[in-house]
Amino acid sequence: MAYDTPEDLQEKAAIMREFGRLRAAGLPVPAELQTKHVNATNDGYATGPGPGGRIPDFLLPDQEGIPRSVANLSGPNGLFLVFYRSADW
Amino acid sequence: MIAESGFGIAAVSYDSQETQRQFAEKYRIRIPLLSDRDSAVIRSFGILNNNIDPSLRAHGVPHPVEYLITPEGLVIRKYFVPNYQHRVAASAVALREFGVVSDEAPTVTLRSGALTVAIGLSAATAFAGQEIGFLAKFALEPGWHVYGAPLPEGYTATSVTFDGPAVAHQSFELPEATPVRMDVLGETVPAYSGSFQGLGSLLLRFPLDDGRIVLSGRVSFQQCGATVCEAPETIPFELPLILERFMDAPRSK
Repeated sequence: MAYDTPEDLQEKAAIMREFGRLRAAGLPVPAELQTKHVNATNDGYATGPGPGGRIPDFLLPDQEGIPRSVANLSGPNGLFLVFYRSADW
Repeated sequence: MIAESGFGIAAVSYDSQETQRQFAEKYRIRIPLLSDRDSAVIRSFGILNNNIDPSLRAHGVPHPVEYLITPEGLVIRKYFVPNYQHRVAASAVALREFGVVSDEAPTVTLRSGALTVAIGLSAATAFAGQEIGFLAKFALEPGWHVYGAPLPEGYTATSVTFDGPAVAHQSFELPEATPVRMDVLGETVPAYSGSFQGLGSLLLRFPLDDGRIVLSGRVSFQQCGATVCEAPETIPFELPLILERFMDAPRSK
């Protein structure tokens, strides 16, 4: 679902707060709240450029500190680029 | 399998270079892990998750998206899933994009009348929440057909369906069927002949216990030859799959 109205946004904030409270207290999260929380955190889910579109240029260090771009990451046919949440949590 | 197809692989997160280095070392990851410390690249792609309060550590994470791009930076295909518990397996990408299947991946072969069907998973192992692929290769003896879609009422189209609690969502696509005049029926219906194949995906439920599971499914079809059309058939099958245990990320404190 999308959270559009002020009431929706209040509900979304309440879901986020309750989820955070249970997690912080080390308490189990009920399945229903878990589902609501997934919906809330996916509100406005955006997936970036689509097929045929161009990705933005980037230059980022890898784990060895080597600057990386599409040019030096690609194989002869291109690149599979994955965005992930975190290596830390 | 992706690398063998001439594509590089890299992954981006907002972690520091040092965190990426420890993570790569701990799990022996050899692909480049890129450090987008201030989420500037995540923002430039337009995939920053705006639902997270800036005061929280999680602020700055992207929505889970994967791109297959050309060396010039054009998007060939984009994969996205409902949340981070769900991921498209590399094996599913390799199967869909390049038709590559691991040698260890389980396959089952079914035969009935003039039809042989081989169904194989894209990988022998998976994680709960992952989307894996499957391939169904059909072969018919000369002169025989099975029906495609759409069909008039009373006919059974060719399909592959998985059952059971481990599968949260599935899809299966066959190429477009050719209209064929069935003399024995006096009708023209979409049908397949010879060899053809369909590609499917299975989104595994999350969470699931790790260990060996059996995925059960069924192939439905109706065979038609020059002089006889058989009754619709449904053949059950089973494919084993090993569910791997989730690893916890190391804490870099």
